[in-house]
Amino acid sequence: MAINKNNTGYTFLFSIIMVLIVGTALAYTSLSLKPLQKKNAADKKMVDILGAIGVTTSRENAKTDFPIYVKERLSINSEGNVLNSSSGNVDPADSADPFNLDVKKDYRSKKPASELSFPLYVCESDPGETVYVIPVVGSGLWGPIWGFVALESDMNTIYGAKFDHKTETPGLGAEIKDNEFSDKFKGQKLREASPYFTIIKGGRKIEDLHSVDGITGGTITSVGVGEMIDRTISIYQHYFESETNSSEQ
Amino acid sequence: MSTDNSVATPKRESLFSKKNRKLLKDPLSDSNPITIQVLGICSALAITVQLQQAVIMSLSVLFVMISGNVIVSLLRNLIPDRIRIIVQLVIVASLVIIVDEVLKAYQPDISEKLSVFVGLIITNCIIMGRLEAFALANKPGPSVFDAIGNGMGYAWVLLVVSIVREIFGSGAISLPGMGQVKFLPQDWFVSSGGFYENNNLMILPPMALVVVGIIIWIQRSRNEALIED
Amino acid sequence: MEYFSIFVKGIFVENMIFAYFLGMCSYLAVSKTVKTANGLGLAVIFVLGITVPINYLLENYVLKEGALSWLSPDFATVDLSFLSFIMFIAVIASMVQLVEMIVEKFAPALYGALGIFLPLIAVNCSILGGALFMQERQYPSIGEATTFGLGSGVGWWLAIVAIAAIREKIRYSNVPAPLQGLGITYIITGLMGIAFMSFMGIEI
Repeated sequence: MAINKNNTGYTFLFSIIMVLIVGTALAYTSLSLKPLQKKNAADKKMVDILGAIGVTTSRENAKTDFPIYVKERLSINSEGNVLNSSSGNVDPADSADPFNLDVKKDYRSKKPASELSFPLYVCESDPGETVYVIPVVGSGLWGPIWGFVALESDMNTIYGAKFDHKTETPGLGAEIKDNEFSDKFKGQKLREASPYFTIIKGGRKIEDLHSVDGITGGTITSVGVGEMIDRTISIYQHYFESETNSSEQ
Repeated sequence: MSTDNSVATPKRESLFSKKNRKLLKDPLSDSNPITIQVLGICSALAITVQLQQAVIMSLSVLFVMISGNVIVSLLRNLIPDRIRIIVQLVIVASLVIIVDEVLKAYQPDISEKLSVFVGLIITNCIIMGRLEAFALANKPGPSVFDAIGNGMGYAWVLLVVSIVREIFGSGAISLPGMGQVKFLPQDWFVSSGGFYENNNLMILPPMALVVVGIIIWIQRSRNEALIED
Repeated sequence: MEYFSIFVKGIFVENMIFAYFLGMCSYLAVSKTVKTANGLGLAVIFVLGITVPINYLLENYVLKEGALSWLSPDFATVDLSFLSFIMFIAVIASMVQLVEMIVEKFAPALYGALGIFLPLIAVNCSILGGALFMQERQYPSIGEATTFGLGSGVGWWLAIVAIAAIREKIRYSNVPAPLQGLGITYIITGLMGIAFMSFMGIEI
């Protein structure tokens, strides 16, 4: 080619063309695939919520199974007042549906709890047995951790839990994803006040109902799980208290 | 991406020459990216805890290397010298991001496992290293061979390290799609009253370095020409 | 106090090499002598110290969701974070180009000794890693982000100078021939990594 590829003018031209091509390609890919990706994320969320109440389902069936077990979805504020409620099928485009509240994004925004609303899922694992599922978000060793904690109708006994992470160490912190870890939560109880639940490393008494054993070698991730449960329960506590008070009356 | 391969294929068929076979063979031993060229170490440490992760990473790196090598080789006469590093990086980064976005939409389970690695693939020095050292100065055909050779050289070290780490560290083996399969009987373990304990040190990244060191030891004992001064 | 904590954590508890194992390639390849290790280490400190704050500004004023609202309130929902990797890398590559020109002009001997590993700083996983950690942890101010960048850089410099010093000394030891050079360096780095694990989880 006769073009001198090292001359400044050509370099500028090349850079501009490259930026345009790359920018367009990436933007196009990202925008056109976004709806499909959002749907996949929503399906995963449903699988996890159902997993917390002990219902195993797949991404494909999640959409149909979800309304069967999740009777109602509420959004509450930090004072415990119900702001909104939805039920039936989930529409990912409906921003008023509490299912579509992005708790991870809210956590990262570091906004105070008074400015945010929180989702609560009212489920029925077996007919007549009400289970409440709340999402939890926190920080592990290398990145975010999150999950769902399911509480029995007394809003105190833990029915089940499901945790997940982005980049925790495989074999160590990553074990929070395993059933071996989340099964330990079944039947344990929350305390009356903070810390509502603790993950204990070493020396935990078997009879202690308000804790589970942490993961050996995964201390920071385990501590992160405990912190996120504690912080989240503190927020939902106002709602739980007003609910148990009104049901006692 | 398949169009790129079809550009290379006709050349490939007629070029199973000695030169190209050397491009495939050398990185497997004498100029292995991890043990000789000192490239691609970070990922070798981070994702060799389980075999299935190593497999996914190797396939992804292989794919990006081949595509990257072909694209840069095709553009090699157009890229201005002063910005060539930036251009290479942008090409690799765009490839990886597009693959990641497509996987997130059509294969979400695989994408979940891969998301962690996306950053590691983009900065994988092997990809950049081979672009600089080979693709910039050679035709697309040989560039494909170079990519495959180095990709395989990288892959076998990764697979060996992850097999060692997973067997001794977790008493299991895993494959993509199969998950992790523990093959030691549960009652061998101390927690069930037995005698065996998994070597927890193997799960930690430093042990990957030690295992690679031992691979180097074996490799250089067999080929004295590789020994340093 | 916060700054001190971030800085010290970056050097020891969250050392780029020994805790996160980022930036290993140049670390292993350029640590034969303390002199070159020192040169590369200082270059990395400089690059990290400059690119982390620049990427911080990019992240907060251009990339993350709602970042563009200073241009116009209509842009409050625009989320450009899919461009993060590319923009961070572009910033890093440009900075490295700059460093390359400076070193070539003012320290030509060092430039020759570093060879290809100077431009390879651009792909050094620790530099991109620094930008990504900054993005993940969302430091509240540019001061904290810069301190993090400098701390990580100093940690990386410390690691490479330490291993170079050890390598210079063991040239006179009875290392088995096939392990000499690279092999024993891998193993020693592994041991140092295990040692640095004792810092994990320390709250300063």
